[in-house]
Amino acid sequence: MDVAKEKELREADALANQNIIDKALNWGRGHSFWPVTFGLACCAIEMMSAGGPRFDLSRFGYEVFRASPRHSDVLIVAGTCTRKMAPLLRRIYDQMPEPKWVIAMGSCASGGGPFADSYAMNTGVDNVVPVDVYVPGCPPRPESLIFGLLQLQYKVNHPAKVRLMNHGK
Amino acid sequence: MENKELLRKRVDELAARVGGNVAEGSDNLVLTVNSQYIIETLEAAKTFDGIPCDFLHDLAGFDAKDHFEVVYQLRSWSGPQKLRIKAIVDRDNPVIDSATRVWGGANFWEREAYDMFGIVFKGHPNLKRIYLWDDFEGFPLRKDYVTEPAEVRNITRVRTDNE
Repeated sequence: MDVAKEKELREADALANQNIIDKALNWGRGHSFWPVTFGLACCAIEMMSAGGPRFDLSRFGYEVFRASPRHSDVLIVAGTCTRKMAPLLRRIYDQMPEPKWVIAMGSCASGGGPFADSYAMNTGVDNVVPVDVYVPGCPPRPESLIFGLLQLQYKVNHPAKVRLMNHGK
Repeated sequence: MENKELLRKRVDELAARVGGNVAEGSDNLVLTVNSQYIIETLEAAKTFDGIPCDFLHDLAGFDAKDHFEVVYQLRSWSGPQKLRIKAIVDRDNPVIDSATRVWGGANFWEREAYDMFGIVFKGHPNLKRIYLWDDFEGFPLRKDYVTEPAEVRNITRVRTDNE
């Protein structure tokens, strides 16, 4: 399936389901993301650091890094996703239960980074999975990742506002 | 140092036997031979009398435009001696004998050289791609390799059964 189309459908779905129960559920989801333990390169070190005591991701309720995609709802693509890895990334994403979100962490995941011209890279992980939040940096500091997760929290809680911000009317 | 002179003597003897030539590298001797003598050369270097170079430190491919080279970095378990052996491989028919008979550790390095340069190692037990996926086309570290455009690279690969 075309990934851009998939992302559009996913966002339309989030917009369509906005009754009071969904809002309550989204509030809960946005305050307790369970990311997959999925590190590909140096960004994973920053991700681990964000989970550690100094930056303490658990302040926001995001600390439960699950070892299985079947227990998780956020995929943080932390690092360089090569063409060899891409189908496996897609497989992990497909194994996650709905609802699910993706954060592209770092310049490699966002757009290929310094390896964009390499024979082994595709230019950005948004060719493989629909990405909700892009965190720039090489690698981004843990504060950036926390900010990205808070942006995702805002997106989960207010899909209509985020759509307005991204696309205008 | 005495050690260096002895190594130089042994390497010169070996070079005379296999028709190679010896040069001084920055901190070691470089012995360049033709690819058909490579096993003989490696076995001789491994059993140099008094100064064996019996540890294969690294193995790599190299593209010199008109030919390929396979570079063997030898060291020793029992002394400071270092030796670099270069085997010249024909570009149109890049075939060389596998060093896995002499050093089992050459296995993965030869697979890497095959993966990146397409050098075929005759007698290798499992010569297939090691870093890139099996249906990758071309050998990317060759000088004449042209990288596919981003539109082609962005198409997500289909996973094969053995991954």
